[in-house]
Formats: sequence, C-alpha cells, structure tokens
Amino acid sequence: MPIVELNKVRKVYDTKVAVEGLSLTMEPGTMFGLLGPNGSGKTSTIRMVIGMTMPDSGTVRLFERPLQREMLHRVGYLPEERGLYKKMKVLDQLVFLGRLHGLSEAAAKQRSLAWCERIQITEAIGKKTEDLSKGMQQKIQFIAALLHDPELVIMDEPFSGLDPVNAELLLDTLVDLRREGKAVMFSTHRMDQVEKMCDAIALISRGRLVLDGSMREVKARYPRNRVSVVFSGDESFLRHPEVEEAKQYAGGADLKLYHEAGAQKVLAEAVARGTVLHKFEVKEPTLEEIFIEQVRASFGREQAEGIANV
Amino acid sequence: MSNRLLNIWLIARREYVERIRTKGFLIATILIPTLMGGGMFGAAELASKSKTASHIAVLASQPQPAQDLRDELEHGKNSTMTVEILPLSTSHATLDEEMKNKQLDGYLVIKPATQAGQRPTFDFTPRSTADIATTTAIQEALHRVLIREYLAGKGLSAIQTDALMAPVTLNVLGRNGVRGDSKSAFLVAYVLFFLMYMVVLLYGMNVARSIIEEKTSRVFEVLLATIQPDELLAGKILGVGAVGLTQVGIWMIAFGLLAAQMGATSGVQISLAQVIFFVVYFGLGYALYSAVAASLGAMTNSEQELQQLNMFMMLPLFFSLLMLAPVVTNPNSVVSRIVSQIPFCAPLLMDLRVSISMPQPWEIALSIGLIFVTIYAVLWFSSRIYRVGILMYGKKPNLPEILRWLKYS
Repeated sequence: MPIVELNKVRKVYDTKVAVEGLSLTMEPGTMFGLLGPNGSGKTSTIRMVIGMTMPDSGTVRLFERPLQREMLHRVGYLPEERGLYKKMKVLDQLVFLGRLHGLSEAAAKQRSLAWCERIQITEAIGKKTEDLSKGMQQKIQFIAALLHDPELVIMDEPFSGLDPVNAELLLDTLVDLRREGKAVMFSTHRMDQVEKMCDAIALISRGRLVLDGSMREVKARYPRNRVSVVFSGDESFLRHPEVEEAKQYAGGADLKLYHEAGAQKVLAEAVARGTVLHKFEVKEPTLEEIFIEQVRASFGREQAEGIANV
Repeated sequence: MSNRLLNIWLIARREYVERIRTKGFLIATILIPTLMGGGMFGAAELASKSKTASHIAVLASQPQPAQDLRDELEHGKNSTMTVEILPLSTSHATLDEEMKNKQLDGYLVIKPATQAGQRPTFDFTPRSTADIATTTAIQEALHRVLIREYLAGKGLSAIQTDALMAPVTLNVLGRNGVRGDSKSAFLVAYVLFFLMYMVVLLYGMNVARSIIEEKTSRVFEVLLATIQPDELLAGKILGVGAVGLTQVGIWMIAFGLLAAQMGATSGVQISLAQVIFFVVYFGLGYALYSAVAASLGAMTNSEQELQQLNMFMMLPLFFSLLMLAPVVTNPNSVVSRIVSQIPFCAPLLMDLRVSISMPQPWEIALSIGLIFVTIYAVLWFSSRIYRVGILMYGKKPNLPEILRWLKYS
C-alpha cells in the first residue's frame, strides 16, 4: 500500500529532459531519501509528486489514488527555494499559511506557538521575517510545512544552509515525525544523513532512476570490499594485486579491493612485510561511495568527477 | 467552492492588511491630496495675488478723472490698489526716490488735453516694467473711467451708466429646460476621469508588482502547493483593489467634509447617479486593468522587465485620453458610442458620457457586460500563464499544455 507511487513518469522542459521513465514507490510510515547530483531531476520529481507540475506521460498516485488537489491538505511541502513574505510578522505569516491549509484561525495560532517552542525560535515570534537570520527563516518555513499535521511530508533539500546544530535539530524533528507514523520524503545530497535515517532511498541521475530500494537491500548489493587501515612503516602492501584503488593520507589509507576475500591476503602481506598496523577494518561501502560510483557510471568518468564531488 | 472562496478571502485579506499597515500607504493617503490641494490652493492664491495691490501715485492738475480712477482702482474688479492723488507739480525725483525705497510701485502723470474733445495724456512710470498686472489694471480702469465721463457728459445718470456697463449673462439650458451648470458638469467629469485614470494605473501596477515580489521571494511555490493560481490572482486583485478603494474613499470623505465646512461655495455638484456609476465603472475598470497587470506580472521576472511591458497597459489608457476631447464635445456621436463600448476604454469613457449626457440604458448594460467577459477571459488566461510561466523556467506555454492545465484544475 504505497503512499506515493510514480509510474513511468516523464517530464520535458522545452528541449531538456528533466525526468525520464521514473518509477518509484514509497511506503507509509517510512523515511525516504531522494538522492542525486545537482540538476538530476529531484526537484522536478518532487513538484510532480505534489501536483505543482504535471508529468508529460506516466502517472502519479498519492494515498493510493490518482493525484487530486484535495489531497494536498494532507501533504506538507518545503520547497527548495525558501519563500516567505519578508515584511510579515512571523506569527501572522504562520497563521496565514496554516489557514490556507485548512486550519481555523485559533488552531493555526496555537499550533504555530507550539511549533516555535518545539524548534526553539520563540524569540522570533513577534519579529518581521526580514529581520531574521537565514537559518531562522528556514525554521519558520519548516514549521509552515508541518503546521497542518500532514500525513505525508515532502521536503526539498531541508538541511541546506543550516549550521550543524540546527540541521541536527530539524533532523531529529523529522525522525520524531516518522516515529509518530508520518511518511517523510526528502531530497538531499548529504549521504551521511541519509545513511543514518532513511528506510529507503532512490538515487536519480540525469533524470533516470539508477538505484532504489530499502537501505539494507541497497547495501547488500555491494560486497564488503572496503578496508580502512591505520599503519606506520612499510607501505608496499598497498600495491598488492587484490587492491583496486588506494587513497592514502597521513598515517593511513582507504582501500577498495577487487573481492571481499582479498582483505585477508592484504592483511597477511602487510604483516609479512613488517608494517605496524594500528587498525585494519573491513567495511561495506558507504552510501557516498555507492552514490559516486553510480553517478560516474551514468555520466562517464571524467564528467562525474566534477558533479559527484559537490 | 466555499473552500475556493475562503482561499480567495484569505489571500485578499492578507494583501489588504499588509498594505494598509505600511508607512507608504499612510504617506500616500495624506501626501497626495495635500500636494494636490496645496497645488490647487496655491494656484488660486496666485490668481488672487495677480489682482494687483500696488501702491501708486497719480499726478493730476484737476480732481477728475483722477478721483474716479482712484475709486476704480481701489475697489475695482481686478485690483485693490492704493492710490494717492498728488498735485501735478510734485517733484519726480522725490517719487523716484520713494520707488527706489519700495514705498511706491509707480506713478501716473495725467496731463490735461490741449484741445477740447481730445483725451488727456497718461504717462505711467512703473517701478518694474514687468509689473504687467498693474499696468493692465490702470489701462482698463482708465478706459472705464473715460467711458463713464463721456456718458455722464451726454446726460446719463450714474444708474443708467452702471446698467449699460454691466456684463451680459448667458443662460445655458439643459434639454429639459432646467438651467444646467455645464461648467461644473464638465469639471466633475474631468476630475472623475483623471482620478480613475490615476488610481487604475497606480493600483494596477501594484498588482503586477506584488506578483513579481511573490515570484522573486518564491512564496508562490509554498502557496501553489495548497491553492490554485486563479484563487491567488483573484485574491490579489481584490485585496489590492480594496486598498485603492479605501484610499479613494478616504479622499472622497475628506473632500466631502471639507466642502461641507466651506459651505459648498465652489458650486460644484456631484449627483448620486454620478457617484454610483463612478463606483461601478471604477470597480470594473480597476478589475480589468489589474487582471492585465497580473498577467504582465506573471510573464515577467523583475520590475525592469515589467517596465518594458508597461505600454500594454498604458496604450488603452492613452487612447482613452485621446478620445476624451471628441467624447466631451459630442458624447452621442457614433465614434463616442463605439469607443465607449471597447472594454478597455469603457470604464473611463462610458463613465464620462454618463456624467455629461446619460447614454441609453442598453449601452450601459452592454458595456458592463463586455467588461465582465473581458475580465473573465484575461483572468483565465493570466492564471494559466502564472502557473506555467513561473514553474517552467521561462518556457512559454503552448496550447495543448494550457488545455491540460485546464483539465487538471
């Protein structure tokens, strides 16, 4: 029973193909990460999910039915480019947006105050929006998306431009929402967050889906062929034939091996050559490594260097 | 449906409240009539100042016509001058000295005629040759004095002379034989026309600006996630329009109170019908031009771009302005009847015709109907442009796309 379902969606702007044959599903009560490099079609996809633009072909279903305007009262949306009325006072602004989402004046006011307390911006309530810092404005926008207690929360790059403390605060809020049974979809290119929080991901590159599934499924598709070593002394074991790639830095290295079984051979080699090992850890690839690999594959290697290292 | 109305109401209320609260609104509300009133008062004051109040000396050997001239100049229609009569032998050097000290504005020397039946010679030495008002006043006063003297010489009494010289009154009658005040009817029509022209232009542009502001601040993306573009546009037009009506209303009430205070001495009368038609046509004209402005705002991304498209709004207004003279001079000609049916001109020109000479009821009904249809069409069009234009990164919508939007909403 997916809460969001895209089926072979295609969207073309003028001559540029933004999204091509994209199908994905999101289950209720899960946190879903939409990943992709800049310009890959994340925002276009999100806009189609909330019915702001229509796909040229393919279907969008929300809450198991074809998209209808009335459904949008059950959806909370945070756009990528933040938009608030600069001259308006924060509380007036929140009440206004809450009312547009179908809340009564009193409910909108009461919830706005509660939310301001929850994400620690009570001092901003009486101020004009233009007098607030960028981070504060983003928090206001965040509240505006959640005020009407939506079942489905969709956020486009919710953490961009926030300091680590505030990013953590909003992240925790999203985790709380998921615990309350809400479905949360967000786009990002910060892999560390996705790895920690998401139940499922979809990776888009150049408008096409390159990878999707639950976090466990995705990881299981990749062998545990990464080794993190901290050592001193002889480093010739890094040139062992099992090593596909070695990134060396002061006092250590990250290795990528051809096979999972290669780790033991490399370890034996290092010991045999008398290298002093402080740490030797065999790991599965991080999501970031998977991301870069997939994006490179979709572009061709050279082009991807610039894009994936953003 | 009620949901849609609620959304429109919310948008309009926000727009209204936020705008009314600004300092700009307060300043414009107070400053514009103050400046205009000040300008009018200043002009009136200047006009009354041109009624010369110079201090002159008249040098004459005989009491007449010097005394008559003094009466004429001191209590005349166009002058309240101070006149001293001095003997002809007064030294010109003393008078020149007084003029230098600005105690005197000039002196007139009357030399009696050398032969009977001839006019005396009048030599005027003003302090400044640029003081045309004084010179003209003296010249006209002398003319009247001489005519009076001549008529008195022919044996006419002072009363007969006054009767002869009184200005003629021409009564201008309306069609029903009632004496109409054509001057004030024109004045009212002109004032209403320009008031409407100004407010429509001013507040229409405000709609466009408010849409551009929303685009640059990206608020629309949040709004469009819950409401539809036509709701947003309708709310904006109503909200900004209500601000315009509030401002005009404040001015009207202030003007009315002021007129009542001054005892309506101006003699300008605005009939109830004029007010009602003004409000109706103002509302319609405003809505129409705002809808056009809204679509201009939806098509552009910045104030600069808007300026370039401004002419689409100015052209019909200028055309109406050009048609002003033909319609005023002949409100019921074929040309007047046709141009006052053009929806973009009707709010101004049909209203003008109503104030000058009431057109046929069906003409009024037709023009109102046409405006309504046009408003609807423009609004329909601009709400499509709005949605497609702002989200498509500048791509122009094509027909199948518009049809799909239509089907969708």
